Amino acid sequence: MTEEEKSNWLSRNTFHHGEFWDILKLVEEKEKKDLTISLCIPTLNEEKTIGKEVLILRSELMERYPLIDEFAVIDSGSQDKTLEVACNYGADTYLASDILPEVGDKRGKGENLWKAIHQLKGDIICYVDADITNIHPRFVYGLVAPLIQRNDIKYVKAFYDRPLNYSSGLRPSGGGRVTEILTRPLFSLFYPELTNVIQPLSGEYAARRDVLEIIPFPIGYGVETSHLLDLYYKFGIEAFAQTDLDRRVHRNQTTNALGKMSFGILQTFINRLHAQGKIDQLPDMETFYRRFEVEDGAYSQIVQEVIEEERPPMIEIEGYREHRASLAD
Amino acid sequence: MTFDTQTKDSTLDNLLKEVPRQIESLRSIRETFLTDAVLLGEIPSPTYGEKDRIRLVIDRFRENGLQDPTLDEFGNASGIVQGSSGNSTILVMAHADSVFSADTRHVLEVGSDFITGPGIADNAIGLAAVVALPKLLSHLNIKFKDDLLLVANVKSLGRANMEGTRGFLETMSRPTKAGICVEGATQGRLSYSGLGTLRAQINLNIPSDYDWSSFGAAGAISHLNRLINQLMEISLPKEPKSKMTFGGLTAGSSFNTSPRTGRLRFEITSEGDEVIDDLEKSLHEICEQFSLETGTEVRMEIVAKRQNCGIPFTHPLVKTTRAIMHEAGITPKVDPSTGDLNAIIRAGHPGITLGLTTAENLREENETIHLEPIYAGLAQLITLLQAIDEGVCEL
Repeated sequence: MTEEEKSNWLSRNTFHHGEFWDILKLVEEKEKKDLTISLCIPTLNEEKTIGKEVLILRSELMERYPLIDEFAVIDSGSQDKTLEVACNYGADTYLASDILPEVGDKRGKGENLWKAIHQLKGDIICYVDADITNIHPRFVYGLVAPLIQRNDIKYVKAFYDRPLNYSSGLRPSGGGRVTEILTRPLFSLFYPELTNVIQPLSGEYAARRDVLEIIPFPIGYGVETSHLLDLYYKFGIEAFAQTDLDRRVHRNQTTNALGKMSFGILQTFINRLHAQGKIDQLPDMETFYRRFEVEDGAYSQIVQEVIEEERPPMIEIEGYREHRASLAD
Repeated sequence: MTFDTQTKDSTLDNLLKEVPRQIESLRSIRETFLTDAVLLGEIPSPTYGEKDRIRLVIDRFRENGLQDPTLDEFGNASGIVQGSSGNSTILVMAHADSVFSADTRHVLEVGSDFITGPGIADNAIGLAAVVALPKLLSHLNIKFKDDLLLVANVKSLGRANMEGTRGFLETMSRPTKAGICVEGATQGRLSYSGLGTLRAQINLNIPSDYDWSSFGAAGAISHLNRLINQLMEISLPKEPKSKMTFGGLTAGSSFNTSPRTGRLRFEITSEGDEVIDDLEKSLHEICEQFSLETGTEVRMEIVAKRQNCGIPFTHPLVKTTRAIMHEAGITPKVDPSTGDLNAIIRAGHPGITLGLTTAENLREENETIHLEPIYAGLAQLITLLQAIDEGVCEL
């Protein structure tokens, strides 16, 4: 991609949620195109924030403006009142383990996202994390609007810190620590076009069913990275768009947690490099993430196993194909 | 019993019969007003800084079907639910300002049966009820003969001394039947009078030439402590009922440095205007004497002063409100208001303040409202508006 093409993609496929303030117009366009939209919130012990998310998103985007046709919370087995609160405010609630039981149960956010493809009916599925404390309808309409309005767009990512023009130039985008010190350098080395995605790891995105069902889903940390790499490989950068959702407030993660996350993302990334022929030889990779802790002057190594298991493309699951066929009938 | 009274009683009886159905029906659309409460409540809205919250109120008024909602010169937002005759107006107000500063983290938690966060009770839920009222009335299929004038008033609390409400009422020229102030808390309050109030701030300053070696020399905190003790020795009469509340004390920022300035905020409320006048004089004298005796600069600033006002307990508006509360399962408790009701009554309109629900930790960052009582709280408001519209509350 030339610099000019890059600039074109950025200007054509980068949006601000404010462009889609007229939700009624979006509803009309959605109905005209006969599209259905499902919203999925993957959860694990989110009772503090899930009530507000369900209340606001359902009230605004299902009751006031019927933009969303289906609202589901898919849970990994919360020990707190997450499901009770979500159900109380009208979300359809599911345990991930109850969906497609014949394929077994794996623990991780990616598992819930993958099983949502089977459980939910929409032509478009929008995923929103459960830990957003400043939830607002823009987190959904900002992501689904480009898919409603532009048939060429297949996958829309959120970003949150709008680059502003300073006198010295453009302020660097505010990606998270893992984005800036891991993902962006890797993209710059191997997939320079994907560096146009301002926040590749953001947990909010919307996509068409027909692309979600043909890609594998890592069940852990690598799910966002794999989506970008797999869809880029299949469709190129033109399939993507991104929307500025302004500020997002959520829990901050410790550096240790981010190290573990990076380890998982690296596994996903390197596997794709190999699968896409970007590197020839790949040694067996360790699945143990090692770090140090110090206590009373003594260093000890902490070893945690992080296996980035993957679910195959949903379209390869027989139960899913039968389910979709029955819906079509 | 005159025919007119009989008609009023029978009209009220018919309205009261609808209260249980209203409560259940409101429960089914709770998302409408709870969402507004959260969205409004998460926008910081300190007194004099309500602009962003008011912008959302205007948007919501419009989305809820009000024609041409208005932002007035004082910053109040208002809109009209047109009545079939429009011959007179019923005023429904909720203050949009909050005691919390813009720096406070305005994040609300929504549980199955509660909402917690700064300002949710005072007064995000009250404001949300007014904002959502057109939707609620439409859902209940209730129409009015009178116009309902819905107002989100600004500059209500503390130092602002109801500036927004007073400005609104001074410039409003519509024939008004009654005014209702809607507060989040506390359900059951029966406020039909505005309490005489004196709000003051004492600023104590240690001058640069202060003699730190003299007997009794001290920093601002010690001096304010002594001054508070003197204020607490003021004898307040049992009748008329009077009360002094110390609401804020600010001084110092370290462990080991005596501050040179301090500030005390307090309020005196009394059912006797003469008590307040006398206390104001005494306070000035105490401050002057304290200043001369200690070599400190003590300045008392009157932030707000209001006289008692009200409508009688026997006024049909009050009687009707009690009957509605009873029907809604709410126990009334007479609770004179120190808020915007004062301005409504002083402007010559019969008025009352209602509370929507029960609450905990009022004016703390973990302020919490209970959701279950809200449906009865809203039903009491809507039924009272219907009763006013039907003429039941007129003398």
